[in-house]
Amino acid sequence: MTYLPAVKLTQVSKRYADVTAVDYLNLDVGKGEILGLLGPNGSGKSTTLKMILGLVKPDSGSVNVLGINVEDDAVAVKRKVGYVPESPRVYEFLTGLEFLDFTGDVYGMGPAEKKGRIEEFLRALDLEGRQGDMISSYSEGMKQKVIIISAIMHRPELLLLDEPLSGLDPKSARIVKDLLRQLASQGVAAIMSTHVLEIAQAMCDRIAIMYEGRLLALGTMEELRRKARMPESGLEDIFLKLTGTGDTRPIVEALLK
Amino acid sequence: MNWKNVLLLVGVEVKSYRTVRGSSFRRFRENRLLTYALYAVACIVGVLIGWAVGSFYSGLSDLSQKNLLFQGATYFFISLPTLALLYGLVFTQMSQIQRIGAKVSVQPLYWFPFSWEEHTLASVMANALGAPLMITVFACSGILVASVFFGLFPLAVLTVLALLTSIILASATTEAFKTLQVRLQGAVTKAAGRAAIWVRLIVSILVFIVFYGVYFSIYSNVSPVSLIESVAGGQKLLWFIPYLWPGMALSTFVSNLWVEAIFFSVASLAFIYALFLAAVRLNVRFGLYEAPSIRVSGGVYVPRAGFLGRLGFSPLEAAIVKKDFRAFTRRGELTFIFIFPVVFIIMPLVSAVREPLPSTFPYFLYAYLTLLPGALMAGVLGSLIVGSEGRSIWCVYSSPVSARSLVKAKYSFVALFSLAVTLICATVSGLITVPSVQIAAVGLIEAVFLVLSLAMVSLTFGIKGADFRESLPRPRMIRTRWSLVSMIVCAIVGLAILSPIIPYGLNLIFGSTEPGLAMPVFASGGYLYVAPLISGLIAAVVTYVFRKMALDSAERLLVNAESMEG
Repeated sequence: MTYLPAVKLTQVSKRYADVTAVDYLNLDVGKGEILGLLGPNGSGKSTTLKMILGLVKPDSGSVNVLGINVEDDAVAVKRKVGYVPESPRVYEFLTGLEFLDFTGDVYGMGPAEKKGRIEEFLRALDLEGRQGDMISSYSEGMKQKVIIISAIMHRPELLLLDEPLSGLDPKSARIVKDLLRQLASQGVAAIMSTHVLEIAQAMCDRIAIMYEGRLLALGTMEELRRKARMPESGLEDIFLKLTGTGDTRPIVEALLK
Repeated sequence: MNWKNVLLLVGVEVKSYRTVRGSSFRRFRENRLLTYALYAVACIVGVLIGWAVGSFYSGLSDLSQKNLLFQGATYFFISLPTLALLYGLVFTQMSQIQRIGAKVSVQPLYWFPFSWEEHTLASVMANALGAPLMITVFACSGILVASVFFGLFPLAVLTVLALLTSIILASATTEAFKTLQVRLQGAVTKAAGRAAIWVRLIVSILVFIVFYGVYFSIYSNVSPVSLIESVAGGQKLLWFIPYLWPGMALSTFVSNLWVEAIFFSVASLAFIYALFLAAVRLNVRFGLYEAPSIRVSGGVYVPRAGFLGRLGFSPLEAAIVKKDFRAFTRRGELTFIFIFPVVFIIMPLVSAVREPLPSTFPYFLYAYLTLLPGALMAGVLGSLIVGSEGRSIWCVYSSPVSARSLVKAKYSFVALFSLAVTLICATVSGLITVPSVQIAAVGLIEAVFLVLSLAMVSLTFGIKGADFRESLPRPRMIRTRWSLVSMIVCAIVGLAILSPIIPYGLNLIFGSTEPGLAMPVFASGGYLYVAPLISGLIAAVVTYVFRKMALDSAERLLVNAESMEG
């Protein structure tokens, strides 16, 4: 894999009142790489993703995406990115088809390309037959499928995924995972924030662990094992050790009293 | 029935009305003092008014006047429960209509250990809180104090009890109706299939038209005294209607018909219980209701170039305009925007039917209907259009939408929609009033200038003050202070644009009836050619300046997603 940075964060920090969400973060993600962004709740993962997309302005540092400084031209960055937010809300008064048509228009897709891509995705993710219904009647999993399609259908060069598999049935989750792998092999970079450590371990080329806005560790599984001095362990144990939340037994015992 | 559970649930309902204060959406501050202070103020105002009326009565030396006032007070006491019931029904029903997702307000958290009786009773009690209870507190304190001076204290005590009964009656009716309404709406939606959206939109508009039509025809030009007299007399005629039984109990008590008074009192309580049971049964049957899915299309996808594309809109801008059009025809809580023009047409027409009109009324009516509904629509719609995105605003944030495209798309929707309203209203008023071609053309041109400018002014403030929270009772869409600023600036800009034509209009309307006000300079036909030009110039300048401001605000909005999202 040739290492060309699709995303480069340099000394990026962001504060909300007295809370430091992201603390002088340095991070780069190569083209064709899937990076897993892990961390406990409130560790700054979602803020980092939003800064990469230009939705949140960093207090200091620079964010460069696909050769574009986000502060200079956020719209140009958004054109090349597909985004799946955490707990998203879609336009529930539109049908699935109308929402995807809207997405296609927003990303400037031609009619034929739009039609082909929408039909393929609807078929692949088992939404056929429900595409004419208003999204308000969809289950959470179906809404998630629509959002994933809208993030991928315009062939982005970078994917920012915040808990992308939440609510998906096993078949659809498998399709999305395989799709991400295929896209990565075609050079699409992806940053995936998740709490499901098994998925991160299975899918990601490298893993970044954030804690209280700082980058605690970054590397492949092997590199993380070495850093944590846990040569035989899985990601869960490494994660818990590095974030200092390792020994949960006293907590469980106290709760059972 | 566990009363602790009932009170807990009432507490939750009360909290659903509380407001978030301050500019930070993340911080919540509850103003309990304000909540209770309003009831205290209602009580104090009631006591003061009751005392003032009582003192006035005591101070009267003319015996005939005193008798007349005594008679009036008795009538008032007797009719008060029925009036309270009518207002209670209006307030509670309207507040339910306002609540987005009736489903949300109807459905209890079914996995908690509450019974349906507890949930229903809590809901009934919560319905009565707020405006209905505040009016009851005001009325009760007033009549209790006044009754001491009138020597009607026993009747006042019974009136207070009857008032409380009426409020609970209104509230229980609302509870039963609410569940039934959601169920029926769902059934209609399901049966209507693809036409569901239009059925829902048209039915909502029709309900409002009927409501306002009835409201204006009852209350316009009706004095409070004649209303009280008609209620007091009417309830005797219609005694068999259970909703009038609290009033009947008072009426029979005043006439010393003790057996009947006791009968109507007991019957009122029995009716409340029956209504409560009905509401419980309806909740058991339909309380956990799942809305049927609305199928809009068969699923065959045909991408269209569209009309907007031919007008020079980019696919992105056209997509936003199309999406907004769908939002305003499909989102229940936004359909109220269609009511504006309808109400503005109905109001003067009801007055026109009821009273003799001056000869200049057609001019006034033409100006009123041509200028006002479209301008108001532009002013209101522009201020709400960005905030109406709600939490789905992330779709805009994460899309490659520039500030310029956002402003263009939102402005176009507001302007096109308001121009359509203007055209419809101008046609209606033209058919009713038949103005000269010149006056009709000038009126329409001025209306177009007004709409195009106000759409930009209100959009500017709509972006600055956008509120994306989707809290109950309905989405806010714009923060209160920006809404006020928008209204004031729109009013000033509107007057400025119309200023060249106002002297001509005043001359036309008052010139014949008040010759002193005639201004010949502005009365000539030639002036009618000059005035729209000046108006157009003012409108162009205003639109240009506010467009700059709107673009600046949109730039800031798109890079401050985190703080705006809420």
